[in-house]
Amino acid sequence: MTAPTQPRAPHWWQVRARSEVPGARGKFTWVYLWGAPLRAMHWVAAVCLIALAGTGLYIGDPYFSTGGEASQHYLMGRMRFLHFVAAAIIVMTGIVRVYWLFVGNKFERWPALFPITGKNLRHVVAMVRSYARMTPEQQPHFVGHNPLAQWAYTAVYVAMAIMVLTGFALYGQSNPGGMIYVLFNWVNAAVGGLQNARLLHHVFMWFFFIFVPVHIYLAVRSDYIERGGIVSSILTGGRFIPSDESFEDYEATRAVTSEWPAAGHPEQRP
Amino acid sequence: MYRPSAVPWSPGAPLGQHLEERGVSRRDFLTFCTEMCAVLGVAQTMIPRVAQALQDIRRPSVIWLQLQECTGCVESVLRTAEPTIGDLVLDVVSLDYNHTLMAGAGHAVEQALQDAMNANKGKYVLVVTGSVPLSEGGIYTMIGGRTAETILREAAAGAAAVVAVGACAHFGSVQSARPNPTGAVGVRDIVKDKPVLVVAGCPPIGDVVTASLVHYLTFGRLPEADSEGRPLFAYGKRIHDQCPRRAHFDAGQYVEVFDDEAARKGWCLYQVGCKGPATFSPCPIFQWNTRTSWPIGAGHPCIGCTERNFWDTMSPFYGRLPGVSGFGIEQKVDAIGAGLAAGALAGIAVHATATVYHQIKRRKATGELPEEASHG
Ligand code: SF4
Repeated sequence: MTAPTQPRAPHWWQVRARSEVPGARGKFTWVYLWGAPLRAMHWVAAVCLIALAGTGLYIGDPYFSTGGEASQHYLMGRMRFLHFVAAAIIVMTGIVRVYWLFVGNKFERWPALFPITGKNLRHVVAMVRSYARMTPEQQPHFVGHNPLAQWAYTAVYVAMAIMVLTGFALYGQSNPGGMIYVLFNWVNAAVGGLQNARLLHHVFMWFFFIFVPVHIYLAVRSDYIERGGIVSSILTGGRFIPSDESFEDYEATRAVTSEWPAAGHPEQRP
Repeated sequence: MYRPSAVPWSPGAPLGQHLEERGVSRRDFLTFCTEMCAVLGVAQTMIPRVAQALQDIRRPSVIWLQLQECTGCVESVLRTAEPTIGDLVLDVVSLDYNHTLMAGAGHAVEQALQDAMNANKGKYVLVVTGSVPLSEGGIYTMIGGRTAETILREAAAGAAAVVAVGACAHFGSVQSARPNPTGAVGVRDIVKDKPVLVVAGCPPIGDVVTASLVHYLTFGRLPEADSEGRPLFAYGKRIHDQCPRRAHFDAGQYVEVFDDEAARKGWCLYQVGCKGPATFSPCPIFQWNTRTSWPIGAGHPCIGCTERNFWDTMSPFYGRLPGVSGFGIEQKVDAIGAGLAAGALAGIAVHATATVYHQIKRRKATGELPEEASHG
């Protein structure tokens, strides 16, 4: 005898149709945040950063030696070459970013880099509190970066600038009197010698090793909790926000761009 | 071998005549001039001019002050197993006043110094080794009852050219390393109204001093210098860019400890703290003791002694990077960085677990997830 089988409730990790997920219902607005140059810059820089870290670790502390005759190998030479090429490319992305600080939208322009008003600073505290207490429902809502995230990204730009300055200061030494040397040798004097420039370059490498995992984690986490598609915004340029929610940094008209269940769907009929 | 003191240089005689009296052949003399041109990086066509200028010079007055120092520079500059013509030039030009080489002592030599300065006012070359201590009124170095600073200021005022020889005269060397108890400074910190040529190094290479003097005697001015005052012909390139071990550096072949196989094979000393990549000096080319050897040639990493404040900035001498203080003991930056990065990863893992746990609870509360979901 077979009893009529109840439809099994899905496990929490199982994929479900959108209509089965209550939290995903409602009206959404798609907002465009990041211009194409910014997105391209982000990914080019990400690839360069990986190349720079990998080669930089070897240059700073060659973790293995080659055997045989020196004439048969060029390991350190190749590492340095890759390092310099990746550095040149990342500097170019930096130039694009600086240009975009002046022509981008309000989320991309330079004032966005410095959320220093009292309200913003209170939001930084609120963000820290909500991360620490696991209370995402209490955190202030932002369409773009929340002030805490923005300060972290501003710190990345500062760290990047220090890397570029000390990097060029070290690079210029092989050709004293050359252009790079003339433009950047003052950095060595400013930090008290070449070895200190080398140390700074090394210390800020660790800054990136700490920043990158935290950055990826918090982006994925916020996507998981808010379901706004924040991770894909760095690919597509935009994200969804609930049309009826209010945001600290967004006032525009809330034209509904996406709705579930869609108009005409059986579930929507009264 | 030339015998430095067999024939004294009579005051009126030109150098050419003096060398001849000492048994230096014309050929040897021209070889020396050619070498000097190569060292100075001037064109071959200048050799006759250098030779002419050198053989015509009358004995120039050189006053050599030794302030707060260890005499090592004088040893390096004047002592070699076999004196070269360059040593002879140095030897003969530096007789007016030099503590180490003077036979006399006491008030007589201090008077000799005054006499030499007065007689050659505006014409003598002043060579200085040693730093100038400024703390507590400069009492840490007194000669004849006067402070090093007073003596230096007085001697520099009447000098045609000032050459600071050695790391002490360059920036103060070990005396000026933190915490610098005597307040030691270099010559350029005191003498600001005339160009001071800095022959950097602890000790510097004698050839650089010789070549600088030859340049001065030939062209009537000091050679072109970098921002530290070091002559570019000698300090224009990093050791790392002229190093015979560089092929091993580029190939990725490094000495890890001083008695390993790699050390015996003469591989690159980068991993045992070589500061060649941060040091401008002609050591690989000029070398020491009549071109016998030099530190990296002998298997020891460069400690960067031609660079300003090298005792503070280049140490630890056997490590790649400066230590980071402020953690109780000096720590390697990599240990701190790796610790922080591991901490961040652990923090992420804990936070992520807590996030998922809370989110499931929250979604169950809103009915998004069925209460019994996990039991299926
Ligand atoms: S031994 Fe020192 S100077 Fe020579 S190649 Fe190696 S790191 Fe450079």
